[in-house]
Amino acid sequence: MTTTDTPAVRVVPVRHYGRWLTALVVAGLAALFLRALLTSPNLEPGTVAHYLFQDYVLDGVLTTLWLTLLAMVLGTAGGILLAVLRLSDNPVLRGVSWTFIWVFRGTPLLVQIIFFGFLGALFPRITLSVPFTGTVLFDRPTSVVVTGTVAAVLALSLNEMAYAAEVIRGGILAVDGGQTEAAAALGMSPTLTLRRVVLPQAMRVIIPPMGNETITMLKSTALVSIIAGRDLMTAVQSVYQNNYKVIPLLVVAAIWYLALVSLLSAGQWLVERRFGRGFARGGVR
Amino acid sequence: MTAMVRAEGVTKRFGPVEVLKGIDLTVAPGEVACLLGPSGSGKSTFLRCVNHLERIDGGQLSVDGELVGYRRQGDRLYELKAREVAVRRRDIGMVFQRFNLFPHLTALGNVTEAPVRVLRTPRAQAREEALRLLDRVGLADRAHHYPSQLSGGQQQRVAIARAMAMRPKLMLFDEPTSALDPELVGEVLDVMKGLAADGMTMVVVTHEMGFAREVADQVAFLDDGVVVEVGPPDEVLGRPRHERTRAFLDKVL
Ligand SMILES: Nc1ncnc2c1ncn2[C@@H]1O[C@H](COP(=O)(O)OP(=O)(O)OP(=O)(O)O)[C@@H](O)[C@H]1O
Ligand SMILES: [Mg+2]
Repeated sequence: MTTTDTPAVRVVPVRHYGRWLTALVVAGLAALFLRALLTSPNLEPGTVAHYLFQDYVLDGVLTTLWLTLLAMVLGTAGGILLAVLRLSDNPVLRGVSWTFIWVFRGTPLLVQIIFFGFLGALFPRITLSVPFTGTVLFDRPTSVVVTGTVAAVLALSLNEMAYAAEVIRGGILAVDGGQTEAAAALGMSPTLTLRRVVLPQAMRVIIPPMGNETITMLKSTALVSIIAGRDLMTAVQSVYQNNYKVIPLLVVAAIWYLALVSLLSAGQWLVERRFGRGFARGGVR
Repeated sequence: MTAMVRAEGVTKRFGPVEVLKGIDLTVAPGEVACLLGPSGSGKSTFLRCVNHLERIDGGQLSVDGELVGYRRQGDRLYELKAREVAVRRRDIGMVFQRFNLFPHLTALGNVTEAPVRVLRTPRAQAREEALRLLDRVGLADRAHHYPSQLSGGQQQRVAIARAMAMRPKLMLFDEPTSALDPELVGEVLDVMKGLAADGMTMVVVTHEMGFAREVADQVAFLDDGVVVEVGPPDEVLGRPRHERTRAFLDKVL
């Protein structure tokens, strides 16, 4: 029997009974958790609200935000350079890049932060002079040049460069070799090809892990408290070390970190949409 | 008159394997040369040597009187830097089997990219010329589509327009219709016939015997890294003198 002589068939979409069931279970669990939270004697919603917008907390939020952004911008720029060096034909440049990545990925970030914080102990003065002439262009004590903040930015961004380099190298390698050939056949130079053809396509692969990197960085800024301080986590810690309201203040920190991460995720979404253009999935036309 | 392409004893090896074993071929300006031959005979490799995507190991290869990949000064040959090679490639267009359009740019963007970035053509002028080229390949209404929104035949026609936008004096085609569904082959061949009629010098690797017969001024049959037989299409395709040519033609026709 053929379907042509079957009268008016009704199409029934797949029924998702499982979805309703999971929704029910999740809603139940969420309600239980919320009740436990609100009835806990240590949460103190009032205290949370009180500290959420204190000046030093807001200062901490700002510090965390600009430290993260600056370290990520410098880290990404350096990462692109390191990735290109690692893929270059020049064995010396490849070696330099490999060594940099090896050192900065191979040692703990905390150690690097402390190292830059106490750079003055290792090299008391920073001197720049013209060789063989004795002309001194620059000569200052290290502790004056590399302040706590400079050391923090230096440590965070150099560390980030090493990780970003590998992410970006992966993205570059993911671009089809035919693209480079097509660009070459059009007379585009290697640098132009990298800038206009390879990197824009690599971005699609690079952005999601770099989003991860940014979020990790947001939280890593707490480590600089040892040498510079005043980031969000440090601000909150110094308060609860005095008044012992540990849980409410950690909730304050968590709320701010969540807010910052949401902000960054929105940014990531915009960037992903921009670089998804022309690819069949996940992009506006 | 200087030949557009002159290959004399061109050899090329990949590791221990000699892929080209002394290729001789001369293509005059305005001529269309078709390269035929079984898979692995070295057709693509030779084509890629012509615009220095591969480096030759021996013999001489020149395009419009200039050595490919080298500069002669007195009695010495200096290998060109990547940047200098890029300058030479501006005059040689290439169309690939798998199109290789830039997926992040629209059809129009694909065509204007090299003129704007490489030749520094003013954007408005490049755009105007690109639209004219797209119109010529029958895609005026697809200018703002991304490659993923185009059929294979349309993508290949954009790729031809992209190469033509550099105003090349030589066009290389490597099996431009092999990745296409049979019903899309014709539209690409028509565009190529149009170019040939306008006097473009072309070297075409193809399995389309009809195209070779109709358009080619000379057909070269390659096997195992050498040109076995070369001549006008009706001779090579109609009355092949060599056993290997005959065996190949028997299989594809
Ligand atoms: N990059 C490479 N490295 C090593 N061997 C290669 C490389 N490119 C091509 N070859 C080899 O060179 C030989 C000739 O290849 P080529 O692609 O030129 O053949 P072809 O005539 O174009 O074949 P087809 O019709 O299948 O495209 C093949 O044996 C191939 O395996
Ligand atoms: Mg081939």
